[in-house]
Amino acid sequence: MTDTQWKVFEVFHQQARGEPHVHVGSIHAPDAEMALILAKEQYSRRQACVNLWVVPAEAILATAYENDDIFERATDKSYRESWGYKTPKTITTSDEATKRRSDEG
Amino acid sequence: MDTKAFQSLDCLPGTLREAVINLLYRLADDELVIGHRNSEWTGHAPILEADIAFSSMAQDEMGHAQAYYQMLHQLGEADPDTLAFGRKPREFRCAALVCLPKGDWAFSVLRQFLYDAAETVRLTAFVESTLVPLAQLATKLRGEEKYHLMHGRSWVLKLGVGTEESRGRMQAALDVAYSCALGLFEPTEFDEPLAQAGIAPRESELRRQWESAVAPVLADAGLHVSEAAKPVYGGRVGRHPEALKQLLDQLQLVYNIDPTAKW
Repeated sequence: MTDTQWKVFEVFHQQARGEPHVHVGSIHAPDAEMALILAKEQYSRRQACVNLWVVPAEAILATAYENDDIFERATDKSYRESWGYKTPKTITTSDEATKRRSDEG
Repeated sequence: MDTKAFQSLDCLPGTLREAVINLLYRLADDELVIGHRNSEWTGHAPILEADIAFSSMAQDEMGHAQAYYQMLHQLGEADPDTLAFGRKPREFRCAALVCLPKGDWAFSVLRQFLYDAAETVRLTAFVESTLVPLAQLATKLRGEEKYHLMHGRSWVLKLGVGTEESRGRMQAALDVAYSCALGLFEPTEFDEPLAQAGIAPRESELRRQWESAVAPVLADAGLHVSEAAKPVYGGRVGRHPEALKQLLDQLQLVYNIDPTAKW
């Protein structure tokens, strides 16, 4: 039996300008233009959105799960993991930093 | 603009008030009826993605209808529920285009394109309206209409040049829908006062803008407008195809079991 489904596009959604585009799912569509149009209702109707990307699923090159041992570490490399570094959630402005210093001082 | 602005609906003098009420009924009833028609695809569209998009747009149109009915209520007409559910077909002011049964997918997407192109032309004009509440509402609704037009245009282009079958269905749809779409611009006795007050352009002017907006898309889709296409008028004075009665019977069924019920 032939596959009568349309092509699959992966959909990436951006909640606000400057935020990363996050993969939210996939969509069937005959071409990229229609994929964007259909993805708009599918993926932005229940949350804020300023921008969408669609990418043909076939354009994505993925690693194979059978090779997932390439991600294993032969020796302890926990020092590489980013939780080891303290990063502020937001970058404070110089005004806020000045205020905080004077509050603390 | 040298015409004076009406900051609120209360500022309208008696003669213009009647004209604005008539205009709002035409706008609201078109939106309600096409919203209901398009919602008939919910659960039945060709694919899931198309179903969700079309149903969502049907909800948008219902929302627009509600906003116009709310303005009518502020002008002393009944509340939105009573206006939507409590009127007889002859009291509706919608055009024939929106009344027609949903037909096949080709007909529904073509109608949606022709209708939303007209909505876009109207809302673009209303943004400049001297009636400030109408200008504000138009500004708010334009984003959704812009999307509706992108959606309709995309389907028309795709199916127009798709397969022999899709092209044939689209042309058959256009042969029926175009005359009815021209009926969206049925002139009324209120055209002149509304235009002179700067509230809304004349229907003939809106029609001209609409024709230049849809013609290139239809041409790109390889579809031909019959030269014999004559506007189907009557909707703006309450003369409708039989299909409207069947639609309203269904739309108003639950409400009419007990119009005083509280939800």
